[in-house]
Amino acid sequence: MFERRPKKINYQTVLRDVARSMVRLKRPERLLKLITRYIDRELGLSHTSLVVLEETRDRFIFVDSKGSRRVPIGLIKFEMNHPLVLWFRAEKGKELKCEDFLQRSLLAKGLANGRLKMLVPERRQLYEKVKKAMDDLKIELAIPGYFKRTLIGLLLLGEKKDRKPFTKSEISFFQTLTQDCSMAVKTAEYHRSLIDKNVELERQLKEIHNLRKKEQETYYEIMRSLAQEVHAKDPLTYGHINDVEYLGLKTAEELGLDLTGRKRDILSAGLILHDVGKIGIPDQVLKKPTGLSGEEREIMKTHVDKGVKILEPLTNFKEVIEIVRTHHENFDGSGYPLGLKGDAIPIEARIVSVVDAFHAIVTSRCYRSNRSVELAFDELKKCSGTQFDPQVVDALIRMVHKEKVRRGSGFFNLFTPS
Amino acid sequence: MKKLLVVDDEVEICEFLKAFFEERDYEVLTARSGPEALEAVDNFQPHVILLDIFMPGGLDGLAVLKRIKDRYPNIKVIMVTALETREKIEEAMRFGADNYITKPLSLEYLEKDVQEKIEVLSGNR
Repeated sequence: MFERRPKKINYQTVLRDVARSMVRLKRPERLLKLITRYIDRELGLSHTSLVVLEETRDRFIFVDSKGSRRVPIGLIKFEMNHPLVLWFRAEKGKELKCEDFLQRSLLAKGLANGRLKMLVPERRQLYEKVKKAMDDLKIELAIPGYFKRTLIGLLLLGEKKDRKPFTKSEISFFQTLTQDCSMAVKTAEYHRSLIDKNVELERQLKEIHNLRKKEQETYYEIMRSLAQEVHAKDPLTYGHINDVEYLGLKTAEELGLDLTGRKRDILSAGLILHDVGKIGIPDQVLKKPTGLSGEEREIMKTHVDKGVKILEPLTNFKEVIEIVRTHHENFDGSGYPLGLKGDAIPIEARIVSVVDAFHAIVTSRCYRSNRSVELAFDELKKCSGTQFDPQVVDALIRMVHKEKVRRGSGFFNLFTPS
Repeated sequence: MKKLLVVDDEVEICEFLKAFFEERDYEVLTARSGPEALEAVDNFQPHVILLDIFMPGGLDGLAVLKRIKDRYPNIKVIMVTALETREKIEEAMRFGADNYITKPLSLEYLEKDVQEKIEVLSGNR
């Protein structure tokens, strides 16, 4: 093939193109095979073989072999002390001036004409071993492929049909090709390892995210049951905490509040958890139905800060914590702990305040009846504009009327003791 | 003449090893299956056998090994296989295998090992 000039140029261009495109390919194994097949077809050598480093096992294996004297895939390995591997890893054949390739005929000549006799015995021995290894596998030309000075593969070529030696230009072409192949293999490996790392990282992130979510959910569940405990212990509220949640959500709907996405969950959590800090209030204070002393009243007020502290680990609950912090603020600014006024108090907290009071009044009566509901309405109206947001009070009253119509006497089941 | 029998179900491997050892002045016969191998042993009387374990056709390398060693304890049998489990190796050794080489193998080592087996045999004679 090399004798016919036009064909030679064509074949070199084709191969170079193939090699270039390999650099971008994710699976260069197929293209390595394409290369061996191409050389085999165009040059008809006794064999064309590629061996590649298996890094994890410290050995070189044949990935492809073509031609009449081809080497069966999977049969032979080169260990790291194989003469050819040793040669290209350390020696680079400087003495024979054939750096980066080995040609059996040159090696044989060197050994025969005694030029190598001056060498120390170990080196001469290596030359002989290299020649024997090439004889064993019928290798006429061996070209190493390096990546960052590490030997990662070898192109092994048998004799031409006419047994003529390879020319300089042929050898330099094979060298270019082998280098391109090495780049392609390494680029693909790097690419693959990057993808693998990415996948792994994403998996880990997801796992962390899930763990965190689970942790938060667990914490929320604990807080929820704590809140229920506290709520049940409070002499003013016998009902289930879920009733407060239900009334609050309904009132919010009546107000026309946007409850899409997380907003509903935030209000829910606020309605359920607002008094969780009462867990830190001594029973003799908490369970006293009436007549708290000034000192006891101050102790009672600390449940707001305590609640905030308890909920701080719920990092997704910033808004909920704000509700807990402000649920004892009054509409006219007379509440605690900050003395916020009107719109400065989150709407959710204003709802909690009204609903909680309503629920307490209704459930503290022995008989849940129209009468107790009316009493609660009176109480709310009396404090509307001072303690409570008038809009929220109105909305709650409207909502309860609607619910009573809708549910009939079943409405009072809402306030069954837990 | 040094006589070698290569038993492997893969044609490529048989042909490669045949060519390789013939160049080293061995007389080489190949067999592709268990029954073929047993027949070849009777007729060819090899000094050394390279024996694959996994072969189709019911009679695997270990069964072949056992039969050969029962009848011809002097024939050296080198297991050459891709199977690398502890059980297989122990079983082969129990049946009298003279070595156990896993594929991919080092050609230099294989050549040396076969040569050594031949030398042991000629030393015994």
